[in-house]
Amino acid sequence: MQLYLPIAEIPVNIFVIFAMGGAVGFLSGLFGIGGGFLLTPLLIFSGIPPAVSVATVTTQVVASSASAVVTYWRRKAIDLKLASILLAGGVFGSLIGVILFDVLQSVGQLDLVISLSYVTFLGAIGGLMLVESVRAIRRRKSGAAPSARKPGQHNWIHGLPLKVRFRQSKLYVSVIPVVGLGAIIGFLGTILGIGGGFMMVPALIYLLRVPTNIVIGTSLFQILFTMAAATIFHAMGTKTVDIVLAMTLMIGGVIGAQFGARMGQNLRGDQLRLLLALLVLGVGLRFAVDLLLIPDDLYSIAIRKGAGV
Amino acid sequence: MIRFLLAFLFVLTGLSFGLAQEEDHSKDLVTALSSDMVSIQSNFTGTEIVIFGQASHIRDSSGEADDFQLAIVVEGPPQDITTRRKGRFLGVWVNREAERFRNVPSFYAVASTADIGEIAHRNVLDEYSIGLNHINLAVSGVSNVALSDRDDFRRAFVRLREETGLYSERETSIEFLTDTMFRTKIPLPANIPVGDYTVKSYLFNQGELVSETQQTLAVAKIGFEQVTFELAQNYPLVYGVLAVILAIFTGWLAGVIFKKD
Repeated sequence: MQLYLPIAEIPVNIFVIFAMGGAVGFLSGLFGIGGGFLLTPLLIFSGIPPAVSVATVTTQVVASSASAVVTYWRRKAIDLKLASILLAGGVFGSLIGVILFDVLQSVGQLDLVISLSYVTFLGAIGGLMLVESVRAIRRRKSGAAPSARKPGQHNWIHGLPLKVRFRQSKLYVSVIPVVGLGAIIGFLGTILGIGGGFMMVPALIYLLRVPTNIVIGTSLFQILFTMAAATIFHAMGTKTVDIVLAMTLMIGGVIGAQFGARMGQNLRGDQLRLLLALLVLGVGLRFAVDLLLIPDDLYSIAIRKGAGV
Repeated sequence: MIRFLLAFLFVLTGLSFGLAQEEDHSKDLVTALSSDMVSIQSNFTGTEIVIFGQASHIRDSSGEADDFQLAIVVEGPPQDITTRRKGRFLGVWVNREAERFRNVPSFYAVASTADIGEIAHRNVLDEYSIGLNHINLAVSGVSNVALSDRDDFRRAFVRLREETGLYSERETSIEFLTDTMFRTKIPLPANIPVGDYTVKSYLFNQGELVSETQQTLAVAKIGFEQVTFELAQNYPLVYGVLAVILAIFTGWLAGVIFKKD
């Protein structure tokens, strides 16, 4: 069934979009990620204009994280204090992101920056996660004691000033890296149309040493509100949030996410991280291939002014 | 259908005018559209408009039909469009040169009774923008494209627009119902921009323009599509907040519905 999108100004097959939302929603529930880094490329590859894809996915991420946050809220697995400080940074980063998004679009380098960022961040984080998860699985198989969290272990981050106590996470760290992390992920999320959970989760675990059982809920909570801000910024700045497209993705997404979240509880953490690492690397690779191979068409056009902008 | 009949009547009336004032060439050509409004709703997947009319001299009894030719041009509201070409930079394919075309039609379709080149001299075709090779593609002063490459950019631009169905050229697609009455269909793809379109019809005699007509065609979103679009354009903050509320509600609702136990 074809449905005309009022903002994208093209008709799409509603069932295909619904299925995309569902599949990505399933993975997002499974891994505790927003799923934006999968959904945005899928939409772009299926012919939705990149600007509409990025802006609309921020809205979809709001819904999919809201759905999962309900689950983690019930389990009391959210550190609200940590999430709020991350969020403050996130909203600021998101605002800068929307401004830069507009500039990049007008100089014709938005697609390049999106592709390069995907390759860089997905490649780096996917690679790190792959190495870490394989090590963890090996350790578990060889019967060694798990070393995911050593309370006494400190790194340079724990030496920074402005320390705050986060009771639920059993942490006493500076707010500087927390705000900084929120800002970087809010910034990238707005430009790339991703929630940034796949970056936030490992950063919280490895840099701040947040306990694993608190990480996903906290990350989702802050993503929910950062992406809500990003949606509003995109609606006001780029005016490319397509509410019909978002709604279709959301309904598919929230249903998929529920099933994913349940299945996630039956899998071991290191197995989940290995699967997620492979997924992240795969998407990064896809973008790298596009950048390196000779494009099918060297020419492209972009409407700058007048009808349809 | 009623519109169609009315338009048909209009053409016939025009015909009687044409007979009454045989010397006045401006009445040689009368045209009408099947509809002067294209509405875009949620089920819009493209449509077509029918242009029909009467050219009083087009085929006379002596059979000298070939001297008269028709061309019909449908143009959408103007846009500024940047055409970019990728090049290799540090091993990666990136957009390098860019050419900005100013005030080019967002939609362009031409239908004719003969090959475009046979209708009139190039200069005349250029003057009236008849044919894909004769559209006025003005470029902005600022450009990093070498002069020798400019034609490549123009060709690529027209080709890309043709691929999306927004530009088209249909030679010999005007069909005659009688000796003087003609009809042609112009497909409007699903991705057409909204705005005011013009439909210009030209009647040529041995390469000379003898008569022309012009109609307007409005392409507009209606109903939910219109409300949504206008909200997004005029009240972006409200639209953004609404999108967020909708998203949180959908997510929360799903969380409640799928509650375990």
